[in-house]
Amino acid sequence: MEKGSKEKLKIGIYELTGCAGDALLILDCEQELIDMFKAADIQSFLMAKSDNIDGELDVALVEGSVSTEKEKEELVDIRKRAKTVVAIGTCSCFGGIQAAFLDKKDWEKNFKKVYGDNKMTHNKPLQSKPIDAYIKVDYYLPGCPIGKEQFLSTFNRILRGHPPELYRFPVCVECKWNENDCLLNKGILCLGPITRAGCGSICINHNLPCVGCWGPVEEANLTSEFHLLREKGFDYDFIKKKMADFSGTGMADFLGELKGEKK
Amino acid sequence: MKKISVEHLARVEGNGGISATIDGNVVTDVKFSIYEGPRLVERLTVGKTPEEDVNIVPRICAICSLSHKYAVLRAMENALSVKVSPKVALFRELMHLGEMIESHSLHLYYLALPDYVGFPNAIAMAAKFDLEVKIALEMKEFGNHIMKTASGRYIHGENPVIGGFGKFPSIEELIWIKSRAVHFMPFVLKTVSLFCELDYPDCPEDDTVFACCNPDQNKYGFAGDEIILSTGETINKEDYKSLTNEFVVSHSYAKHSRYKREPYSVGALARVNNLGERLKGEAGKMYKKYFNPRWKRNPLFNNAAQALEILYAFERIPKIIDKMVKFPDPPIVKYTKKEGKGTGIVEAPRGLLIHSYEISGSLVSYTDIVTPTAQNAEDIERYCYIAAQKLLDKGEENKIRDRMDLVVRAYDPCISCSAHMAEVKKAPAEDWKAKLAEIKEKASPMFVGVGNRNRSDDGAGVELALELKKLGVCDVYLESELEKHKILWEYKALRPLILFDAVDFKEAPGKVTLLPLNYVMDKTRLSHKILPFISMQMRHKHLKNAYMLGIQPESIEEGTKISRPVRQAILKVLKEIKN
Repeated sequence: MEKGSKEKLKIGIYELTGCAGDALLILDCEQELIDMFKAADIQSFLMAKSDNIDGELDVALVEGSVSTEKEKEELVDIRKRAKTVVAIGTCSCFGGIQAAFLDKKDWEKNFKKVYGDNKMTHNKPLQSKPIDAYIKVDYYLPGCPIGKEQFLSTFNRILRGHPPELYRFPVCVECKWNENDCLLNKGILCLGPITRAGCGSICINHNLPCVGCWGPVEEANLTSEFHLLREKGFDYDFIKKKMADFSGTGMADFLGELKGEKK
Repeated sequence: MKKISVEHLARVEGNGGISATIDGNVVTDVKFSIYEGPRLVERLTVGKTPEEDVNIVPRICAICSLSHKYAVLRAMENALSVKVSPKVALFRELMHLGEMIESHSLHLYYLALPDYVGFPNAIAMAAKFDLEVKIALEMKEFGNHIMKTASGRYIHGENPVIGGFGKFPSIEELIWIKSRAVHFMPFVLKTVSLFCELDYPDCPEDDTVFACCNPDQNKYGFAGDEIILSTGETINKEDYKSLTNEFVVSHSYAKHSRYKREPYSVGALARVNNLGERLKGEAGKMYKKYFNPRWKRNPLFNNAAQALEILYAFERIPKIIDKMVKFPDPPIVKYTKKEGKGTGIVEAPRGLLIHSYEISGSLVSYTDIVTPTAQNAEDIERYCYIAAQKLLDKGEENKIRDRMDLVVRAYDPCISCSAHMAEVKKAPAEDWKAKLAEIKEKASPMFVGVGNRNRSDDGAGVELALELKKLGVCDVYLESELEKHKILWEYKALRPLILFDAVDFKEAPGKVTLLPLNYVMDKTRLSHKILPFISMQMRHKHLKNAYMLGIQPESIEEGTKISRPVRQAILKVLKEIKN
């Protein structure tokens, strides 16, 4: 990196609607953060610095879901400026908890319940959606929030021009590495089999079931998981709801298919 | 007319900003906005199990995630009649202290301090305060470590659950935390001196009401079952709505709160102001040494209060751990209740946090969450207004932007901003016309003419009202008729109220200014006896829907002649109202 900043990749980190947990996690990388700032040219990172520039980018990391008209415009602009866009965090990848109202009418009804008939002057609200509802996304880095190890390895690979190598298997695999007892066998509803790995099976390590906060694993057989849980005696609505808590639109197709199933 | 705004206050649930609109010599509007999109968390949670809610609601904010977790657990356990063992209560307190240390030290050293020692950011500041910045980072990491130990990971850990914890730390781990806490004490004491001795500017200063949790047994602390106010009143947690009165404002997706129609403040400063006398040990000594009456009037002292609380936390940790190691790890308490109602209140680092739920048929049927930043929003706007107007009076307009930045940051709203994105904009001339149109669009206003017709231009307000009456405009009153019509008694703020008056804003004669009435209240510029009367009548009513349309007089000498520029102004206003 001695050849000067021209060689460095230009990177922007952006926050849409969410809890700011992914940006905070990047900040919590304390020691590595300094190396990150040395290795790349961080053009924009609102949480960490004040001299932010909105110019051409090599890579844009985007956290949060799209929940206002202004965010949508901002996102489209980021896409235009960036060669590569990475969705970071469950909200950005799947819409997160706020995308649980899949039905537009449902969302409108609930919006009214919270804000009444007040007209919002500053920013037109939109039903929360993951960023790929509006732009092409190159890579998805899930997590609620994203994990430090997976983030740093992804960041490194992108810096070197390689695609990230993410776990393509469910939490169960990590859980076995950690030699935990299977909670499903104990009759506890655990979403490990359908949830993306990367967290290190942290909840099960604490004797608690996986809540599915990293979103659905790419090749998960959701229907089979559903039937398995039904066989274990769990309630139809409860399973359905639980599977959708964090996954937003990631579960939309599956939940649509379920409509024909008997209760 | 100018607009001074600090947009993109970074670091909250996304982003927000503050802006002040300046019309000549007068600040006519201050707005604190959260641009963050709506998430409808209070509705998302309905229909889920209590356990699912405990997973979901802390996702409101990563920065205060454990305070949210603590509050939702207390609420759910109240609703479901779950009693946790002493070890669980102690471990939760420890976890919460970890968040306090992490959040306060990040805010003080990385966000607040650079402003006071003249550096643009913490990294630049490190050149002069190398050691402080490094140890402060270690202190923050220590807070993070406690949070990770208690919750399972840095952010959104799921280890704390209804009825207890999934897993407790080993005794070795606890002893290590205790020894680390003791090890930090010299630096913690230095932190208190540093932040209590900073030179806080005396603008803005004004009285407000402070609110915080009232911990049991007359102790200092960050949780309780009652809210205590600086007025001495206490409010049971179930009655929290009598304090918060949340309402929606059109410029923000965060709701605002008012107590008895007045803004109030929450946070470290509220806690130290209300409970400081209860501090013991080194924290008690430091409180006695540094506390002074300015702490009750100046929000910038929130920084000093946070430093005192770091000291409190470091003194408290060894005591908690000494007790914790005596107990075996308790199992998670099971519950059978399927119906219930419960509220949980805790102190997030930035103030009172309230979670309230109703459970029917084992599912959540109602959720209400009131966050500290929502409660502080009104006071943030008010103090920024006071600061802006005072600086403007002193001819220091160039300082307004940075001062507002300082005020907002002192409140450490989840948007304690590291960004300095203030900008100064010239707004169009005669901006009052657009504002008047905006008010009229909402509902047809009532008008009251105020003034003394025997003092030349001072009669402008009455003159204007009389002319309007002649034109047949409805709901126009004179100051002298108020008693008769009792309009202010019946005034319910369903419709806007506009007072006409000659106001000395030190502008060119005839200049018209339209501003919210509460921005006029504490001004001596107004010459009439009517104002204290009006302010008294309206104190507990909806001040935000009342406005003052002021015309700059040329002269208020004895006589009945109205000057030319003021007469022209009256005609202009008549024309606008007629339209």
